Amino acid sequence: MRPPQDRVVSRRWFLDRMAWVTTAAAGGTAVLPRMAWGDDATRGYLRDMPEPRPLQVVDDLTELTLAETVSLVRRGDVAPEDLVRAHVARIERYDHAYQAFAARPSLDALLAAARAAPTDGDGAALRGACLAPKDNIYTSDLLTEGGSLVYEGFQPDYDATVVATMRSAGGLVVGKAQMGNLAGGRAQVYGTTTPTTRNAWTPDDVEYSPAGSSSGTGTAVAARMAVAGLGTQTGGSVVGPGNAQGLTCIKPTFGRISLHGVIPLSYTRDHIGPMARTALDAAILLQVLARPDANDPRTLGLPPAPNYIEAATPFPGDRPAVRWPTRIGIAPGWLESEDERVAELRRSFVRELESMGNVRVVGEVSLPEQWEELTSSPLGGSHGDPTAFFIEPLRRDVRLFGDRLPRFLNGMLQSADTYVKVQQARMLLLHRIQTQLFNQCDVLLTESSGAFDGTGMPVLCMPIGFGTEPRTARTVPRGVNLAAPPFGEERLFAVAAAWQARTDHHAVRPEDPVG
Amino acid sequence: MTNRQAPSPTDEQLDVYIRTRYALLGVDISVLPESDPDAPMDQERLLANGRSILRQDVVAADFEIDPQFNLPVAHPAPFVAWTEEADR
Repeated sequence: MRPPQDRVVSRRWFLDRMAWVTTAAAGGTAVLPRMAWGDDATRGYLRDMPEPRPLQVVDDLTELTLAETVSLVRRGDVAPEDLVRAHVARIERYDHAYQAFAARPSLDALLAAARAAPTDGDGAALRGACLAPKDNIYTSDLLTEGGSLVYEGFQPDYDATVVATMRSAGGLVVGKAQMGNLAGGRAQVYGTTTPTTRNAWTPDDVEYSPAGSSSGTGTAVAARMAVAGLGTQTGGSVVGPGNAQGLTCIKPTFGRISLHGVIPLSYTRDHIGPMARTALDAAILLQVLARPDANDPRTLGLPPAPNYIEAATPFPGDRPAVRWPTRIGIAPGWLESEDERVAELRRSFVRELESMGNVRVVGEVSLPEQWEELTSSPLGGSHGDPTAFFIEPLRRDVRLFGDRLPRFLNGMLQSADTYVKVQQARMLLLHRIQTQLFNQCDVLLTESSGAFDGTGMPVLCMPIGFGTEPRTARTVPRGVNLAAPPFGEERLFAVAAAWQARTDHHAVRPEDPVG
Repeated sequence: MTNRQAPSPTDEQLDVYIRTRYALLGVDISVLPESDPDAPMDQERLLANGRSILRQDVVAADFEIDPQFNLPVAHPAPFVAWTEEADR
């Protein structure tokens, strides 16, 4: 069996490929190795997915997973138009309570897009998938307001690369998802601190947060108003809402997904992250989106995307097993919690992991030296990043930025030498995480994603059970963050796939709002 | 080890610096209320944040880091494809 990409990425990949190129240029007969980019590769991977549930046992089309959706559409068992009608009906019935969407197309426009979606032989990879990108991702047909007065009324004249890619694969944007002000905090009424989007598990309780800043995408997917969506993460903004709402999300290695056409917060830490209900669904979206984009040079020159869909498919065998032998480490303190029920849930999760095949839980790992200094402000932050992009609106009226104003003015105060030192510290932290942390384990269970956001390493979140919200005694999902070395997405998907083959926490559906 | 000899500036001195810096760049913070905890933002909170950012510069300056092995890199993760660090 081939090893996962986190074990084979090295300059040897580059040198090997250059050797092929040189041979070909010299008139040899070498054919370049097949690169796993593009629709052909994705469609090939999709054919190997597990069989979907029979349609007869699913009484609501919005309950289908993304994997089931694309399989059933490809077979002709479900029409994209019927999926559109089911999702729009649900949005129109319940989004007054959830407040997950900032802008939506008309039903007629969606049906027309569904009919026009490419079928392209075996069917385009996302045909019929009803998707909810965050509202900082450009859409040529819908406002893109970034949750902020700064962008109020902004209508891009082109799609972000990720939206264009999803649409060209047959995906349908059922709405733009509400978000925290300029990608910070939970979604609010623009320019105020009044919350809008509700947690899908507590739609009648405005106080219980959906988390942010990808609040609306999290709620839309958890509440079955979209089959999957896209969030963005600079500091936990995909995995935060994912964990708060029982989702499985992946923030991939920096550069894996184009950021062209995304309102920036930090040029150096922003990531697009697929948000979904299962590891396989998140892998399908990543498979479609992980490709080079000439408009975003940060995506160029990376090793080719591997087969994420296979990695996220349960490994066959007598008992759930991770596809590759995997050492799982635990961040210091993660097993402890002020809430004893949370602590017990985490201990139980670790016991379950230990019982799975190909897993060795190595216990608490030691953190790299100077961890605290390298992961906290100022060296672990990105204070100066947002200012340059926003000079014009800052001069126009600082009140447009609401409670997020300090973040956008910091670049006027942080010195250039500190900015350089922050980037040096990132390189040092990357080196130490590689050599002093991921020498002990392949995957880390951790509370915070911060160190991995700053260095651009992949993080996946998934539900591990349910707990009781102390204030209202409501049952809410609890999740975990798993971090891996650069290009370790396959490893993360493999662990999540094994876990989700053993449990059904990810399949539990929140109750509909009353009224 | 810090070798700074000059006394640290006071809050008042830093506030003057912050206001001047914003004004120099054409940013007017006087449109915000001076102090209103119920407002999304006020000048008092903004200045407190600014002072914190300025003082964090000192923390960063004091942090010693070997410049020969740790070049400034905006997005470091993809670099493992070049440095063989993944081949442990």
